[in-house]
Amino acid sequence: MAYDNSVLDKAREIAQDCQGGHLSFCSARCPMHTDAMGYVNLIGENKVTEALLKIREVVFLPGTLGRICAHPCEDKCRRNTEYGQPISIAALKRYAADKADDEKLWNTSKKPATGKKAAVIGCGPAGAQAAIDLAKEGHDVTIYEKLNVVGGMMRVGIPEYRLPRNVIDFEYTYLGKLGIQFKMGVEVGKDISFDELVKNYDVVIVANGAHKGFVPPIKGSESEGITNAADFLRAVSLDNKSVKVGNNVIVVGGGDVAMDCARSALRVGATNVTVVSLEKKDEMPASDHEQHGALEEGITFHCGWGGDEILNADGRVNGVRFKECTSVFDADGRFSPAYGENKLELECDTLIFATGQVVEDATDGTLQRGGGGRYSVDKQTLETAIDKVFAAGDCAGGTIVIEAMALGRKAAISANRFLAGQDLKADRDFKMEFHFESTLDIPLPEDAQDLPRKYTNALDPKERIKSFVECDLGFDGDVAEEEGQRCLKCECKKCMTECIMLNDFTQYPGEMFEKFLKDGDIEPLVAYSCNMCDQCTIVCPEEFKFAELFGAIRREMVKANNGESPMPGHKAIKMHQRLGFSKFFTVVAKGGKK
Amino acid sequence: MSRKVFLPGCALPSYNPMNVEAVIKHLKNIYPDLSVVQKCCGKPTQAVGQAAKFEERFAGLVEDIKSCEAEEAIVACQSCMKTLAKGKGYKTTSLWELLPQIGLPKELVGKAKGSDVVFSVHDSCSVRDYTGIHDGIRWIVNELGYKQVDPEGRAREKARCCGFGGMVVPANPDVALRVMKRRVDDFPTEHIVVYCAACRQSFIKAGGKAWHILDLVFGDVVHANTPPPEDTLSKPLKAWRNRYRSKQLIKSAMR
Ligand SMILES: Cc1cc2nc3c(=O)[nH]c(=O)nc-3n(C[C@H](O)[C@H](O)[C@H](O)COP(=O)(O)OP(=O)(O)OC[C@H]3O[C@@H](n4cnc5c(N)ncnc54)[C@H](O)[C@@H]3O)c2cc1C
Ligand code: SF4
Ligand code: SF4
Repeated sequence: MAYDNSVLDKAREIAQDCQGGHLSFCSARCPMHTDAMGYVNLIGENKVTEALLKIREVVFLPGTLGRICAHPCEDKCRRNTEYGQPISIAALKRYAADKADDEKLWNTSKKPATGKKAAVIGCGPAGAQAAIDLAKEGHDVTIYEKLNVVGGMMRVGIPEYRLPRNVIDFEYTYLGKLGIQFKMGVEVGKDISFDELVKNYDVVIVANGAHKGFVPPIKGSESEGITNAADFLRAVSLDNKSVKVGNNVIVVGGGDVAMDCARSALRVGATNVTVVSLEKKDEMPASDHEQHGALEEGITFHCGWGGDEILNADGRVNGVRFKECTSVFDADGRFSPAYGENKLELECDTLIFATGQVVEDATDGTLQRGGGGRYSVDKQTLETAIDKVFAAGDCAGGTIVIEAMALGRKAAISANRFLAGQDLKADRDFKMEFHFESTLDIPLPEDAQDLPRKYTNALDPKERIKSFVECDLGFDGDVAEEEGQRCLKCECKKCMTECIMLNDFTQYPGEMFEKFLKDGDIEPLVAYSCNMCDQCTIVCPEEFKFAELFGAIRREMVKANNGESPMPGHKAIKMHQRLGFSKFFTVVAKGGKK
Repeated sequence: MSRKVFLPGCALPSYNPMNVEAVIKHLKNIYPDLSVVQKCCGKPTQAVGQAAKFEERFAGLVEDIKSCEAEEAIVACQSCMKTLAKGKGYKTTSLWELLPQIGLPKELVGKAKGSDVVFSVHDSCSVRDYTGIHDGIRWIVNELGYKQVDPEGRAREKARCCGFGGMVVPANPDVALRVMKRRVDDFPTEHIVVYCAACRQSFIKAGGKAWHILDLVFGDVVHANTPPPEDTLSKPLKAWRNRYRSKQLIKSAMR
């Protein structure tokens, strides 16, 4: 049916501006767009298995992410931006995983086999996610991993007291269930050449992370007893008993990696651990949670100092002299520390630099690399200069696990298009492939109050520093439920809570009218199920007038139907109205004229 | 004083012609030269989407009002209130706003003081913006001596539809019934007072106990165990008989 332009214009406006499909603040900020609002609320209703399934629709590592995800979602959580008390989204995810995860619930369905072969270099989160997505598309996937353990930096960077290894191992069994092959302990570039992979596979995903730590070239840096975070944490992770540190340990760095080094050093025998950062205390990039954990464990901080000279005796480090750092960034925001006159000397027998990790080439120089050793890629598609090769994760620009996963997924989408002979960019919703700012613009719920954030239980600091046993004990059930109930449910769909009939036909009006525009028509029953009560309009932040629009659509339908309503039930009205106007039932009784 | 015409609408005469007659008698005591027009305003035709037919029918009604030389239309139906407001050359006033100004028949004031009923007030969603009507209804209930309560957060400008609007009942009866039931669930008490006969029908259908405000004014005092009046609107034969009866009663009341 052809509709008048005024109707089509209105439909277009709704399709475009309706906020019904806009993601919540948390979900938009998640690079994988996990439905945080969805599972948080399910936990609030004590539907923990449903919550777990909702998480697993998007991520295969709920227990891992629940423990160590950097949770950017919590920054953007409306309870944070309004009250500074975000929902404990990550901890709730862990709660769901600990309580309800069960391999019997895992969705291991795949598309029919394509006969195409994919190689993935690296078994960190980026490689694993790419492997999963490609396996689900029906491709034959093999992962090449240098180490004999899975998990990448989650395994050999993040310490065990934050992430027990059995959690990673259990969650990674999912890959095996999808038929993904593992070549463990095989280093690409050494045990097998990159060229060989390119030759033998239809696509190659490079996801070898950033595992090369470094010691800045300051005076004395050749002394013994100095190491970098990557090497130190890898050693601690693979066999903490073999790692020896002195009594006095200095960790240089202000990020979470520095916290991991400091807290691990305590656990392998150090008695005094000091963190020295370039940034002032309130500018340190380390998360509040990690700083707090370190302080509780008795770690000392000196903030606002940069390394000047490493002091030594007999070739062994015995201290460091620092110079006061007056500013870390220049006027343009570039890293360019400036120093003052003041000095600080600290003693130590072990010195660990947690000042960043760079990418090591796994392609025998085949791929071009840029800053931090990262491969040069097309940011949108992650394609490299070689047609069939894509890069993902830290080696392609990510910095945290969930980003690595999103990049892994992105690379898989590109690889899959490449395998199907499709254009890599055409009709692709790039926005949904990474995080973005939520465009939701809705008022706070009327009854919203500032309620305190709930925290998980933790082991006593005095006890926990004796071993690598997990510090965070997670939520108790009733606390998790209460925390879930704090969610402000940041979605629009206000009309959907008011209108019964819309729910019978759509998830939100934007979707309904998008379909209307696409199909060029709408079921008469939809237009004729509107009570014309304007309840939707009262609550709609866009004040869309659906009663008017459905009224206009009805008029067009009547016009196209010889002046009659298309609804069979309206035949009776015709009669009714005829009678309502007939002489027999009407009267005009004029007064005052006798 | 400007000349007035009273329009009872469609649903009220079909539901209870005695109420129509009683209103006219009361109004005539105050406005002796009152006229009365019983006719549909055409809203159903409009709701169905028959634009041309609606224009024609509505124009006929405006003619009738003009033929009474009336400057003010007093309406008892909220749809009429909105439809008639579109016409020119007269002013539209709701009966529910007028009654507080002219008062109820004296003998009825305070008649329900002894009733144990607390009425939940249902506002018609078509007049969410008409505060005067909401106030008027509450004034009437109070004047009669009944206790009353609003459905919290769902009264006046936030009133929810009774389910009857938009001609949905014949088109999608299942949806309509669900809307009706939800509205009944909004009310904090069992007894509901409405000021539209169609709303009343909706609530009876949904299993609620509802009275029209004029039932309270002119009918017997309602007690906790009084059953609501029968749902004549759902019986077409009775409804049309009532509408005809109303016409006759109007004629005789105007004689
Ligand atoms: C100490 C530390 C703590 C961190 N803490 C957090 C945190 O709490 N939360 C968070 O979200 N992020 C954290 N991160 C960042 C996070 O770990 C990384 O962003 C993420 O692991 C990157 O994933 P990836 O798959 O790209 O690479 P990786 O996880 O690094 O995986 C790369 C894999 O490739 C393998 N590999 C390397 N070279 C080869 C080769 N030539 N052949 C075969 N295999 C090879 C490696 O052994 C490794 O298994 C932390 C990082 C570090 C260093
Ligand atoms: S209230 Fe409904 S129509 Fe209005 S913006 Fe929200 S979802 Fe869209
Ligand atoms: S309040 Fe709930 S829905 Fe809103 S951003 Fe936070 S977790 Fe997400």
